[in-house]
Amino acid sequence: MRGRLKEWLSDRLGLESLQHLAEKKDIPVHRHTFWYYWGGMTLFLFGIQVATGILLLLYYRASADEAYESVRFIMTKVSFGWLIRSIHSWSANLMIGAAMVHMFSTFLMKAYRSPREVTWLSGMVLLGLALAFGFSGYLLPWNQLAFFATKVGTDITGAVPVVGNFMLRFLRGGEHISGGTLTRFFGFHVAILPALATAILGIHLYLVQRHGMSVPPSVEDAGGPSRRMKFVPHFVLRDMVGWLAALGLLALLSALFPWELGIKADPYASAPAGIKPEWYFGWMFQTLRMLPSHILGIEGELVGILGIGLGATVWLLAPFLDDPRGRGQRARLMTALGAVAIVYVVGFTLLVYRGAKP
Amino acid sequence: MTQVAALLVLGLGGLAPVAHAAPPGAADTAAAMHAGPAAKNTCLDCHRQLDDPRLSGPTKHFPEDIHATHGLGCVGCHGGNPNDPEMTAMDPDKGFKGAPARKDIAEMCASCHANAEYMKRYNPQPYIFSMAEFRTSVHCKKIAEGDLKVATCTNCHGVHGILPPRDPRSPVYHANVPFTCAKCHNAEYMKGRTVPTNQLALWRESVHGVALLVKGDMSAPACNNCHGNHGAVPPKTRDISVVCGNCHGREGELFAKSKVAETLEFEGKRGCVTCHSNHGIRPPTDAMVGTTGEGVCGRCHAAGSPGERAAAVIIPRFHGFKASLARADSLIGVADRLGMETASGREQLKQANDALVGLRAAIHSFSLPAIETAMAEGEGLAGKAEGEAREALRDWRNRRLGLALSLVVIAALIVLLVARIRQAEHPTA
Amino acid sequence: MERRRFLTWLTRIAGTALGGFVLYPVARYLVPPAIPEAATRRVIAAKKNELAPGSFKTFPFGAQPGILVRAGDGRYRAFTAVCTHLGCTVQYKADERLIWCACHNGRYDLDGRNVSGPPPRPLEPFVVHEEGDDIIVEKAGTS
Repeated sequence: MRGRLKEWLSDRLGLESLQHLAEKKDIPVHRHTFWYYWGGMTLFLFGIQVATGILLLLYYRASADEAYESVRFIMTKVSFGWLIRSIHSWSANLMIGAAMVHMFSTFLMKAYRSPREVTWLSGMVLLGLALAFGFSGYLLPWNQLAFFATKVGTDITGAVPVVGNFMLRFLRGGEHISGGTLTRFFGFHVAILPALATAILGIHLYLVQRHGMSVPPSVEDAGGPSRRMKFVPHFVLRDMVGWLAALGLLALLSALFPWELGIKADPYASAPAGIKPEWYFGWMFQTLRMLPSHILGIEGELVGILGIGLGATVWLLAPFLDDPRGRGQRARLMTALGAVAIVYVVGFTLLVYRGAKP
Repeated sequence: MTQVAALLVLGLGGLAPVAHAAPPGAADTAAAMHAGPAAKNTCLDCHRQLDDPRLSGPTKHFPEDIHATHGLGCVGCHGGNPNDPEMTAMDPDKGFKGAPARKDIAEMCASCHANAEYMKRYNPQPYIFSMAEFRTSVHCKKIAEGDLKVATCTNCHGVHGILPPRDPRSPVYHANVPFTCAKCHNAEYMKGRTVPTNQLALWRESVHGVALLVKGDMSAPACNNCHGNHGAVPPKTRDISVVCGNCHGREGELFAKSKVAETLEFEGKRGCVTCHSNHGIRPPTDAMVGTTGEGVCGRCHAAGSPGERAAAVIIPRFHGFKASLARADSLIGVADRLGMETASGREQLKQANDALVGLRAAIHSFSLPAIETAMAEGEGLAGKAEGEAREALRDWRNRRLGLALSLVVIAALIVLLVARIRQAEHPTA
Repeated sequence: MERRRFLTWLTRIAGTALGGFVLYPVARYLVPPAIPEAATRRVIAAKKNELAPGSFKTFPFGAQPGILVRAGDGRYRAFTAVCTHLGCTVQYKADERLIWCACHNGRYDLDGRNVSGPPPRPLEPFVVHEEGDDIIVEKAGTS
C-alpha cells in the first residue's frame, strides 16, 4: 500500500530526482565535522519558531490596548499557551545563538572561500534578518522592559549619520514609540521578515546543496578528509540526535523557566532601572556604553556606531579580503581576526551582565 | 451742633429704606456696606501709620479680611465716620462703638450673621449662625457667667484678618481646627480647671488624626465634626457616640440595634467610646474581640457570663477564617514566585477580604446569628481563593511531571538513534 | 537481525510517543478556551433576567470588581465597584436609589457621582449593552 502511494506521488511530483540527490549527497568526515551540524540546528530552531509563531497568531492581538492582555490570556487561559509562548521566546534565543556558532565556525573554517562567497553573504543577510526578528518580536508583548528596550534601541538607530533620523521614524512609525510602532513591528515580524527570510533561506540552502560542504584548509593540507559519510541516513540521524537534544532543552527551559509576562507598558512611567536590550545586541550596547562622550571632537556614540559598522563591513567582505586559497599570511591574519571577534563579542556580551542582579 | 444734627437726620433719613430691612444697630453697618470696598476708610489710613502695635496691628491683615473684600470697612463693626480723617471720626455720638466688650462680641457678630435675609445678599446659600445654638455651649454659658477666659467668635475665627473656612490659612480650615482648639485646650491655659487637656495629643496619634494630618484625607474628623461648631457641647452632656454612626454608618446602624447598646444606655454608660475611646482612637484590631489580653469585651463581661461564652464561640472560628485567608494569600504568593499566573486567585482573595471587612462590621451587631452568617460567607470565599491557589500549584506540578516524562522519551529516542547510527556504521551481522 | 528489528520497533514506539508529546499540547491549544478572549475590556456581567429591577450584582472585571445595578426603571448601569475613598467594594441601596459604601458611608448617585460622604471622585462608569441573553459590560472610552 505504502509502496503504491509512493509510486503514484513520485510519478507526479518527480520525487525520484530528489531522492537521487539526497542519496548522492555526502559529508566529509574529519576533526571539524562537528561544526557542520550547526546550520541544520539553526534551521530546526527556525522551524520551531515558525510553528509556534503561527500558533501564537491565533490568539495574539497587535494593538497597544490589547497586546499585553492577549499575551496574558495565552499564558493563563489557553491550554498549553504558556508552553507555546515560552518555547517561542526561548527558541528565539537558542536560534540566534546557534546562528552565531554557525557563523563563527564557518568563518574560522574559511568556508566562505570561492565558490561559496554568495553563500556567506546570504548567510550574513539571514543573521541580520534573525536579529530583526528578535528585535521586532521582543516588543510584541508590550511590557515595560520591551517598551523601553525598543526605545533605547531605536534611539541608537537614530544616531546613525545621514539616514539615522529617517530610519528612526520608519521603525517607530513616528517620532515616538506608540501603538503605531507595535502594529508596524508586528507587520515586520509576521509578514515582511518571513517573506524575506524564506527567499534568502531558499538561496542559501540551494547554494549549500550545489557546492556541497567545504573542507577546512588544515584538513585539505593533511590530505583531505579520511572518508565521507552519506547524508542519508548517517548525517541526518546525527542531525536528529542534536535536534532532539535541542527539543529537550526547550522543554526544560519552558517548564522550569517560563517566559515572564512583565508589567504592561506605560509610556509615561520612568524607565525601569537597568534597561538593556536582549543579549544578542549586548556586545554592541556595551561597546557604546563604554565609549567616552566625545572622541577627538566627534560624539562617542557616533564613533561607536561607525566603528561597529566598519567592523561588520570587514566581516562581510571576508571572502574577498582573505587569500582565495585560504593559506599564507593573509589567511592567518583573517583567522586571528576571527578569533579576536569571537573573544570581543563573547566578552562584551558577558560584560553587560557583570554586576547585574539575576 | 445743628449741623451735626442735620447731618445725622439726613444720614438716617437717607438710610430709611435700608433701616427697614436691617435690625436696629445694623443701620450704620449697612451704610458702611453700601460704601463698597473702594470707599474711603480713614480709620485704616490713620491707624496704619501709628507706632503703637496695638493700634496699627489690626490694619496689617484687614485688607484680606472677608468682610473687607465684601465692602464692610472698620465702621461696619466699630461704627464711626469713615470719611472723617480727624479724631472726630471716633465720636460716640456719631455711632462710634469702639472695641466691643468680650461678652458682647457674639451678639455683635450675630447681628449680621444670624440674619438670614441680610446674609442672603452676599450668598444665596449662606450659613446662618444661630445664637440659640451658641447659647447651649459651655463657651457661651461661661462668658455669660463672667468667665472671660473662654472662647468667643474672635478666638477661633480671628478678628481683623478673618478668612473663610475653605481658605487653608484660616484657623478654622478643616486641618487647622484641632490646633485652634488646642490654643486654649492645653494644660497651661487650663490650669486651675478640671477639664482634661490631653485631647490634641491623643487625637494626633489616633487613626483620625493620622488620616487628616498625615494622609491628607479631608473626610477624617477634626474636633468640630464630633463636638459641633458653635454648639461645642461638652462631652459629658450627651454621649458623643451617636456622632460616630454619621460616618461609620454600617457599624453605627448595627450597634444601635444591638443588646449591648441597649444595656449601655440603660446603665448610663457611653456607647462606641466604651470600646474604642474618644480622642485616642486606634485602628481597631481583631484582638479587640475577646475577654483577655487586648480584648475589650472583658472590661464588662466576666468569665463564664453569657457574653463571654458567645465570644468564646466566635473567636476561634474568626481566627480560623483569617487563617484560611492567610493561607490562600501565601499559597498565591508561592504560585506567583513559581511563575504561575494568579490573577483570578487574587480576585477571589479580594472578595474574601471584602467579606472580612463585612464581618468586622457585623461584630457590632453582637448577635451570634448575624455574625455567623457573615462568617460563613467569608469562609466560603476564602475557601474558593485557597482552591484557586492550590490549582495553580497543581498545574505547576503537572508541568514538571510532563517535562520529566517528555525528557525520558527524548532521552530514550536519542539512545535508540545512537544505537541505530552505530549499527549503520559498524554492522555486526 | 532480531536485535535490529527490536531496536527499530522500539524506535518507532519512542518516536510515536514523542509525536504524542508534541501534538497533544498543540491540539489542546487549538481548542478555544471557555472564555474566548481576555476579559479586560468586555465581560458578560449577568444574564438577561437575573436581576430584578431595584437590585444589583458585583462581578469581576479584569482584576477589580464591578457593580451592575438594575434601577427601578429597569435600566442597567455599571460602574467600577472600587470606592474612590479607600477602595472598599460598594453596593446598591434600593431604598435610597444610591450606590453606598459601607466602610465610611460614602454615597454615589446612579450616574456615579459622589454625592455624600468622603469619596473624593465619582465612580468610573462602564458601558452596558444587552446582547441576546447576556448583559455585556464594557470599558467606556476609546475602542
